[in-house]
Amino acid sequence: MNLAQILFYAMAFIAVASALYVAATKNLVRGIFMFFVTLFALAGLYVLALADFVAVTQIVIYVGGILVLILFAFMLSGRETLNSLGEQKDKLISSGKIPGLVLAVLFFAAMVAMILRVDADNLGWIKQAVTADNVIKPTDNSINNIGINLMTTYLLPFEAISILLMMALIGAAHISRKEPDA
Amino acid sequence: MGTFQPYQQALTICLALAAVLLPLLAFIINACLPGRTNKAAGWVSTLAILLSFVSAIIIFSKLWNQPQLHWQFKWFTIGSTNLYAGMWLNNHSVIMLLLVPAIALPVHIYSTAYMKHDERYKRYFAYLSLFCFSMLALVVADSMITFYVFWELVGFSSYLLIGFWFTREKAVMANKKAFIVNRIGDVGLLIAIMIIFVQSGSFDLNQLFGSYGLIAQSQTVNGLWVGASATVPVFWQYVACGGVFLAVAAKTAQFPLHAWLPDAMEGPTSVSALIHAATMVAAGVFLLGRLYPLFTPTELDVLAAIGCFTAFMAATIALTQNDLKRILAYSTISQLGFMVTGMGIGAYASSLFHLVTHAFFKCLLFLVTGIVIHQMAHIKEDNNLDIDPQNILNMGGLRKKLPFTFMTALIGAAALIGLPLTSGFLSKDGILIQSVSWAEQRSFWHMLIPVGVIITTGLTAFYVTRLIVKVFFGKFKLEQFHPHIKYHISDGGWQYTVPLFMLAVCSLFPIFSFNPFVYEDAWVFSGFSTETGLDRINIFHTIIPVGVNILSVFVIYFAYSVYVKRNSWSAPQNSFLYKLSYNQWYFDAFYNKVIVGGVLMLSRASSWFDHKIIDGFIHLLSNLIIGLSKIAAWFDYYVIDGVSRLLTFIVRITSNFIRYFQSGKIQYYLFSMMAVVLVLFIYLLLDI
Amino acid sequence: MISLNDFLVVGAALFCIGLYMLLTKRNAIQLLIGIELMLNAGILNLVAFGKFDKINNSGQIFALFAIVLAAATTAVALAIILTVYRKYKTIDPGRVNSLKD
Repeated sequence: MNLAQILFYAMAFIAVASALYVAATKNLVRGIFMFFVTLFALAGLYVLALADFVAVTQIVIYVGGILVLILFAFMLSGRETLNSLGEQKDKLISSGKIPGLVLAVLFFAAMVAMILRVDADNLGWIKQAVTADNVIKPTDNSINNIGINLMTTYLLPFEAISILLMMALIGAAHISRKEPDA
Repeated sequence: MGTFQPYQQALTICLALAAVLLPLLAFIINACLPGRTNKAAGWVSTLAILLSFVSAIIIFSKLWNQPQLHWQFKWFTIGSTNLYAGMWLNNHSVIMLLLVPAIALPVHIYSTAYMKHDERYKRYFAYLSLFCFSMLALVVADSMITFYVFWELVGFSSYLLIGFWFTREKAVMANKKAFIVNRIGDVGLLIAIMIIFVQSGSFDLNQLFGSYGLIAQSQTVNGLWVGASATVPVFWQYVACGGVFLAVAAKTAQFPLHAWLPDAMEGPTSVSALIHAATMVAAGVFLLGRLYPLFTPTELDVLAAIGCFTAFMAATIALTQNDLKRILAYSTISQLGFMVTGMGIGAYASSLFHLVTHAFFKCLLFLVTGIVIHQMAHIKEDNNLDIDPQNILNMGGLRKKLPFTFMTALIGAAALIGLPLTSGFLSKDGILIQSVSWAEQRSFWHMLIPVGVIITTGLTAFYVTRLIVKVFFGKFKLEQFHPHIKYHISDGGWQYTVPLFMLAVCSLFPIFSFNPFVYEDAWVFSGFSTETGLDRINIFHTIIPVGVNILSVFVIYFAYSVYVKRNSWSAPQNSFLYKLSYNQWYFDAFYNKVIVGGVLMLSRASSWFDHKIIDGFIHLLSNLIIGLSKIAAWFDYYVIDGVSRLLTFIVRITSNFIRYFQSGKIQYYLFSMMAVVLVLFIYLLLDI
Repeated sequence: MISLNDFLVVGAALFCIGLYMLLTKRNAIQLLIGIELMLNAGILNLVAFGKFDKINNSGQIFALFAIVLAAATTAVALAIILTVYRKYKTIDPGRVNSLKD
């Protein structure tokens, strides 16, 4: 066991634990803040997966953008929303949650079974990639790679994403517009 | 005269048919006439009878003591047996053919006045004509089958006429009784007819009972009755005679079937006069006359004994009765007993002679009582009294007020007692004398019969005198009981007096014999002489009539003294003998209790049976079925419907459950989708 | 190095947690967070497999695109939640169950 693996397990643990906390809590604010933690842990996992640019992008956009947006939207909505959002039932596990729990657990079991059966390390194309030395190494320059690929191979999706973003912007602005009668 | 010329025969037959069928025609015309009290009905019937009478006289003159005339046609065929219907005119038939209209004519004339105020006048005459038709047809019938038909028809007409005033309870009961008792006789006759037919193969009266008839030729050999067509055990001969006797007893009111005749007096008096005194009741004796060869000597003895007993019994009962018509009814029974006795002892001719004379004087007496009762009823209505117009205790001294009636009544009474110079004397004499000579030739016990006959003659004298004295002599009792009544009664018009006159004339001797004292000279008698030993034994022929008549005179005087002069001795009213006589020897009570009671009990039992058991069984069945249907309904409701209800229940629960999936909640939808995906996932997992 | 399986398992766990949140939470914003979790699990998968494609680098680029899309989704979703709240006065998804008001 080298350091990478230990770090991996730590990060994984933090990510899953915080996600569990987010799932279990009734307090929305606490959930959001623990989500913070989850996102950071995920960024760490990206780094360990030799995708450093993705990790940074995650922190910038997800944590710095989305989460802040959620926080602002929640907190600036006014007292009524706060009240209605804050109140939850007192039971830890109410009966309505059991079907969902069961389903989630079964799903997890099924996926894990699938993963183990598939045995990803020994897939055909992965072995080929390994033998063809198509694997990213820690010493590679990922930003360079991403930049070139983005402008050549993936230009079309790049442009499409930009248009999509614009549509989302306009759409969100329109939807949340206040009625002029108020 | 020798044999008939064919056209004379045809003429005679036509006349006979006319005589028989004219009353039937009158019946039909009367039935069709409009209105209930159409006076024309009376004259139609009377005219028909008159014409019958005339025809009968002509036939009589042609056929009396001549070779008999037998005409028949084939009626129908059953198998190999032919049945004929037709007329047999021998001495029997023509004398009866003459007698019936001769009695019916005065009665018809009398009825036109007697029933003048009745509201069913037309119906009365229709019935009367029906009766005359059936009686006339009865006497000329030549086949046992047609005889039986008219025998029954006569009984039926009698039933109709007895119950003529059917709104009265007593009349209805009386005619029921008469009809039922007559039916018993009819059954007997039917059995006898059947046995005779089996034994000899023929229904024809001439063939069977004529001079050289089949019955006369049949013999009893070794306990078998040998006949023309079959040989049967002799037991059946006894049964046949028993059947005939039963028929005779029913029609002629002999013991034990005599109880209907006194009750039959509920009918109008003219009906009683015609039917129950003179003609229908004589039909039994007529039957005996026709079927005479059937009887063996032993059976004849039995017949004589019963006849004698009946005569004696009826006479004793007549001694104490207070109802005018009942006295005469019992007197009729008694005289009929004489006739049957006469038949039994072989005095065949005397018996028929007595039948003829009795018809006249008895009819006369009944018509007299009719007049008396009629006048008493007038008095009752005029003064609003509550009396029984037929009770002789209310009458008395009527000879001054109804002189003509009184005289004819005296003649009739004398004939009934049998005093000399009347026709009754001749006929009764014949029976008496012959009974003595018959008994002489036999054992001691047979002497009881003439003794009984003589005693009965004495009793007859007593009660007839009592009747005459109580009605016509003494003081008018009703006036003594009710001093302030006013009345005005008289003899009545020509319609009353002429019939009485005609009948009174016929009750005297000249019509029947030129010698008032010697009965063998009577032409009726000579018409029927048979070969049974009737040698004139001089002593008897003188002593007996003299002795009996002296006895009668004593008895008359005795009765007169008792009832008019009120000379002491009379049996107190509470003594046993009086009670026995007054209550008709308790026969009616006995019959009522035993037979009627028995039949009613039987009917109650069978009604109970029908009600409880048969109906109960049906109720049980129906209850069972109802129970079954209830079970089926329960089954249908819970089980069969239960299945469908179960199905709906399941559907309802399922749909309630499934409804949750359409609640509109997004998370549920998501849940379902994910569940399906999971299932697919697992399926793929397990299969790969 | 770290085997691929481990990444996939972690990704599966996060995905299921996110699914659980989606199915049982009564708060629309928590649903949103659940969706985010699921998206993140997918992105983790992409990145894990992207290690083995150096030439095209499709894994990582795709991950970038997914992050951007997640952002757009969240923005629009929040706008919708706001509007729903204005209309129904509640953001409980269980109560928003009629198409017509």
